[in-house]
Amino acid sequence: MFCRQMKNEDLNDVINVIDTHDEDDAEDALRDFENNGINFQWVITNNDKIIGTSGFRPILETDNSAYISWTYIDKKYCKQGFGNQIFEFILNELNKVKVNKIFIKISNYEDKKGNSPYQAAIKLYEKHGFELEIISKDFYDKYEDQLIYSKDLRSNLDENILKKEEKPTIRFVDIFEIAETEGSYSFEWKVVNKPLFQKRSFTADDLLIGIEAVKERKGRKVFITFPSNLPLIHSPLQEAGFKYIGELKNYYELGIHEMHFVHDLG
Amino acid sequence: MIPIKDDNPQINTPYATYLLIFLNIMIWLIVQNFGSGVQYEESICKFGLIPYSLIYEKALTTCLELNQFGYLSILSSMFLHGGWMHILGNLLFLWVFGGNVEDTMGSLRFICFYIFAGITAGIAQIITNIESIVPMIGASGAIGGVMGAYLILFPKVKVHILVPLFIIFWTFRVPAFAMLGYWIVLQIFDGLNSFGSSGGGIAFWAHIGGFFFGVITIHLFKDNELLHGHPYHGWKQKNDASSIWDNPKNKQK
Repeated sequence: MFCRQMKNEDLNDVINVIDTHDEDDAEDALRDFENNGINFQWVITNNDKIIGTSGFRPILETDNSAYISWTYIDKKYCKQGFGNQIFEFILNELNKVKVNKIFIKISNYEDKKGNSPYQAAIKLYEKHGFELEIISKDFYDKYEDQLIYSKDLRSNLDENILKKEEKPTIRFVDIFEIAETEGSYSFEWKVVNKPLFQKRSFTADDLLIGIEAVKERKGRKVFITFPSNLPLIHSPLQEAGFKYIGELKNYYELGIHEMHFVHDLG
Repeated sequence: MIPIKDDNPQINTPYATYLLIFLNIMIWLIVQNFGSGVQYEESICKFGLIPYSLIYEKALTTCLELNQFGYLSILSSMFLHGGWMHILGNLLFLWVFGGNVEDTMGSLRFICFYIFAGITAGIAQIITNIESIVPMIGASGAIGGVMGAYLILFPKVKVHILVPLFIIFWTFRVPAFAMLGYWIVLQIFDGLNSFGSSGGGIAFWAHIGGFFFGVITIHLFKDNELLHGHPYHGWKQKNDASSIWDNPKNKQK
């Protein structure tokens, strides 16, 4: 068994590994690798044959947080300890680059027989100290939720750290369907310079315009996230009918969490 | 009763307050020659606000002859002072109260607010002393505006005041509404008593005019978004903005 960094020529073999579990995931992974590259992705080989993959993606605009990406072992080689080996390898790589907190997104999908292709993975994460932080209901599709697990690698966590509130001028710039989902949308937002005579914060009306646009596209839900130190976002979100899902603690940095909200279009 | 600090946290760097303090000091040093000599005396005549000169455009004295700045003297007089205690006292008040008021409106708006408060103070003094040939100078009208605004914005916040008792100085913490309320009542009392006097001394009506400008117009100048969540704004304790999500009705089902 050998772990090495993924090369371009490994792409087909990696996709085939994922395909042994889920065809849709394989398609999504291919698209993701083609769009975002294969940096920070590793493969596990057995007798020179690629039997699994795992990796991580640093999260920009955070204090060294990262997501675990595409972690699969070929179905033929499952339950032989290879998943554990590559996962420990990745955790070691994450420690080397001094990642502070690791997040994993995973589905709770079950087939008609009640079998979940992700159960083994969830057990692996929990075995390595990952804890469930958020469940976004019906995220991927109706009755298919997104679970986000996390593990903080810092040793001294001050739970009472207070972060200064900020009041930037936020404007929405795009509406998009979230990758790998059926009918779940999000709004892209950015911080701009405050125009003269205009408010800093977006309003409930701004959100409702976006929600109407999603309805026209036959969307089911709108998911949106914001840092926890922005006090002006809460009133308009609540007025526009968004509900609070939960927060990923210390996502951006110690004391600044990522708050998740959802609007159900029914 | 001298304020020395308050318990109000400074949220953003008060650039405008710093600039105004800097300008006042520079003008005191460069234009008014540290408050000494002919240059100092001439600066008061040239740039001070002389109601008689504005209204009647006549020069009865040498000082009035020097006063050629016209209506601009309403502005220029705001940046002149009569002595070290005058400038230090004014700038101390500006230091204590200005930064927090600036927090509520941003630096550019604060400068506009300050200037308009000073102009109002000047007009108030002119109206109550229309025949006066005594130059009016000082930032205290504009700073009165800042204090009036502070009273409306942060009435409950504690202000540390220095009170001289014989040779000893005591410090007390009093809520802003008490300190500023006492101050304005004193100004009004002294202002009423000043009617019929021959001129000179403290321009109480400038203080009063500036103060009430601040009280009335702060609602136009303040930025409610900047004030959102301020721990000391108003009379009631503010909840954390995100606490609305504690209500089960606002949570994902």
